[in-house]
Amino acid sequence: MNSVTERRLRFVSGNQMIAYGAVAAGCRFFAGYPITPASGIYRTMIEELQGRGEVAISAPDEISALAYCVGASMAGHKAMTATSGPGWALMVETFQYALMTETPVVVVLVQRLGPSTGGATQGAQGDVLFSEYSVSGGYTVPVLCPSNVAECYDLTIEAFAWAERLRSPVILLSDKEVGMMNESVDVGILRDASDVKRPMSGGSLTRKMYDFVHPADIPAFRNVGGDQKVTATGSAHNKSGELRKNDPETMEVLLHLEEKIAARTSELAITRLDEQTGARTLVVSYGITARAAREAAKAARMCGKKVSVLSIQSLFPVPEDRIRQALSGIDRVVVAEENFGGQYRSCIDHLCAGREMVGVNRIGSMITPGEIEAAIV
Amino acid sequence: MPFCKGCGHSQAIRAINEALVELQIPPSQVCLVTDIGCVGLADSLFPSIHTVHTTHGRSTAFATGIKTADALLAEQRLRTIVLIGDGGAMIGLQHLVNAALLNVDITVVLCNNFLFGMTGGQNSAFSPYDFVTTTTPRGNIIPPLDLCKIAVDSGAEYVARFLATDKKIGSAIASAILHPGFALVELVELCTEYAVEMNSIEGRQLSRILRTHDQALGLLAQKHSRSEFTDRYRDKYPPHALSSSLFSHSVGGLSAPELGRRLEVVVAGSAGEKVQSSARKLCEGAMAQGLFCTQKNDNPVTQGSGFSLSEIIVSPEEVEFTGIQSPDAVVVVSNDGCHELQERGTFEILTPNSIVVADAEVCPFATQAAVSRLPFRSSFGPQNAALHALDHMLKLMDFQPKLALCQ
Repeated sequence: MNSVTERRLRFVSGNQMIAYGAVAAGCRFFAGYPITPASGIYRTMIEELQGRGEVAISAPDEISALAYCVGASMAGHKAMTATSGPGWALMVETFQYALMTETPVVVVLVQRLGPSTGGATQGAQGDVLFSEYSVSGGYTVPVLCPSNVAECYDLTIEAFAWAERLRSPVILLSDKEVGMMNESVDVGILRDASDVKRPMSGGSLTRKMYDFVHPADIPAFRNVGGDQKVTATGSAHNKSGELRKNDPETMEVLLHLEEKIAARTSELAITRLDEQTGARTLVVSYGITARAAREAAKAARMCGKKVSVLSIQSLFPVPEDRIRQALSGIDRVVVAEENFGGQYRSCIDHLCAGREMVGVNRIGSMITPGEIEAAIV
Repeated sequence: MPFCKGCGHSQAIRAINEALVELQIPPSQVCLVTDIGCVGLADSLFPSIHTVHTTHGRSTAFATGIKTADALLAEQRLRTIVLIGDGGAMIGLQHLVNAALLNVDITVVLCNNFLFGMTGGQNSAFSPYDFVTTTTPRGNIIPPLDLCKIAVDSGAEYVARFLATDKKIGSAIASAILHPGFALVELVELCTEYAVEMNSIEGRQLSRILRTHDQALGLLAQKHSRSEFTDRYRDKYPPHALSSSLFSHSVGGLSAPELGRRLEVVVAGSAGEKVQSSARKLCEGAMAQGLFCTQKNDNPVTQGSGFSLSEIIVSPEEVEFTGIQSPDAVVVVSNDGCHELQERGTFEILTPNSIVVADAEVCPFATQAAVSRLPFRSSFGPQNAALHALDHMLKLMDFQPKLALCQ
């Protein structure tokens, strides 16, 4: 944190910051459909991109919104859309298509209370598993989760960096509280975005559409309209992009779709560990609830309790190494999240074997620091 | 060709190929976007142009994205053709209507054989009356969709319908590709596998079926009265260098003594009376001193009526928990706001150390906090009540540094 006189503060919402981050990352195509609490992203992208003569357009539904973006990305341009739970339900088909065709795209999912239309202006962290398990076959969907406006900016850039590098759709999982709240942010400490590039195929014309040797390799991108022919399909296909049933090369491609993400689990990890020597309790949290967790730890420490806090920004792939490191010396793990049953807790449970697992969960309003503090012994 | 003997799809594919050959467009400048269904298999028949085989019904939406991005962000050279069946056109009708309304420069070739062939001969929205399919065994009782009519009504300026056996379809598709805007060519076929056998009809009866349903053959629209979508977009939003507004309006901190503690304020009033914008001025004033702030706004579902409320936190350090736990001050300037605060139980959680600044007209409420009532509304007008009440609140508060509203 900069000292008082060095601060360059702006008062912006998380939704605005996601739009600013996208523009910084080189996003030149946005298609939107209105939905609370994500509409602020749509509006800011319209202002930012139309002001530059780049593309920000209104789609007639969420299915079209994501399909426009995937089409634009296939033509070679960084693209993003934003929605909330009900719109996400409609986008899943096209999201799977992007994953299958290895088309980079960023989907911002600003969570609200569900199920169904739920509560448009009530926050929630109920779409964690709905995001991660949205793809048939059990593929790892990269998911990033900001807890404040600065992270909205940084993680949007990160989402583009991941999407472009991994040739994969990426979800930025925000929520109503982070998205619609105005917050002061020191713009002097934000992430640089100059490294967000799409590796383009410059190779020979005879190369295959999905040219890889090891399953974890990421084939260079070729764009529709470019000199190298694009052969894309959402159906199972071989390395040339041709529809095939069950031949060994097709199975290799299907494996590759998972391997290219899974093999990079460690390098994709983004977490923040506030470690206290001698602590036996670790609080794990993410998004808006991570803020309550950090405040709870502060209060607990003032009462003489020892506690460490792990805030997770890269929810998926699950940053297993970071979690294992944070678990050293810990015998009690408190996972705080705004949903029933502990959606993320169920994803890290296997890493915490032999330790007491405690969930702090609620729906309908933010989890308070007091509720988390009560779970710290 | 991967199609059944006698299927019109083969003629459709040949016609698209003929059109591309006739127009002499370099293959790298053509993208064929295919839909799901038998006809969608056509992508494998084109070895040199770009092919994108999409999800069911969505081909037109993907094509709209491809074409728009290419036209506005790249070299503007791509010819985009959608190949879709009647099943895809049914589930994807919205995308077709939207593309026609936009007048985006794509060419849609619809192969209409009145049913779903690939999945076993089920009826579609395009099935004629009395048409027998595996799912309308006693004959279809719903009138068929006329996509050409819908396209014309949606502003499409090149629309044609032909039997797939018509020799003119190659040149019609070529004209459609050259048309600078949305173009639709419907090719009417019979599915040899399901339609012919179940309905004991043959190709020559197709014209009669179409006539019965008032579906004309031939060129149904050809004009140039609307400019193409991306041309209109470029005129309206020309390329322009724009630096990020995020960094251009930041506030630097003053070297003021730091605030000793976190401050929580709730401001409540009526929609349309500048409650939230006044609350923002408090935050901006605090930020000018280098302090961190959060502001959460709330209102009923209809944004222009009822209460309007802001929750503000001002802090010497970055705000972590953004909920209001124990308000230091509450400002309430209308009864809408007062009722909302009562419903939330805000007055009840106030301590004797909290203060309430209320407009004189606000109904009575019970609280332990010290209440200061003044006639903000009648003195300054409802639009200025919140700002003056906040200013008064700051004067009453024993708070270092002294905060001021951003003017």
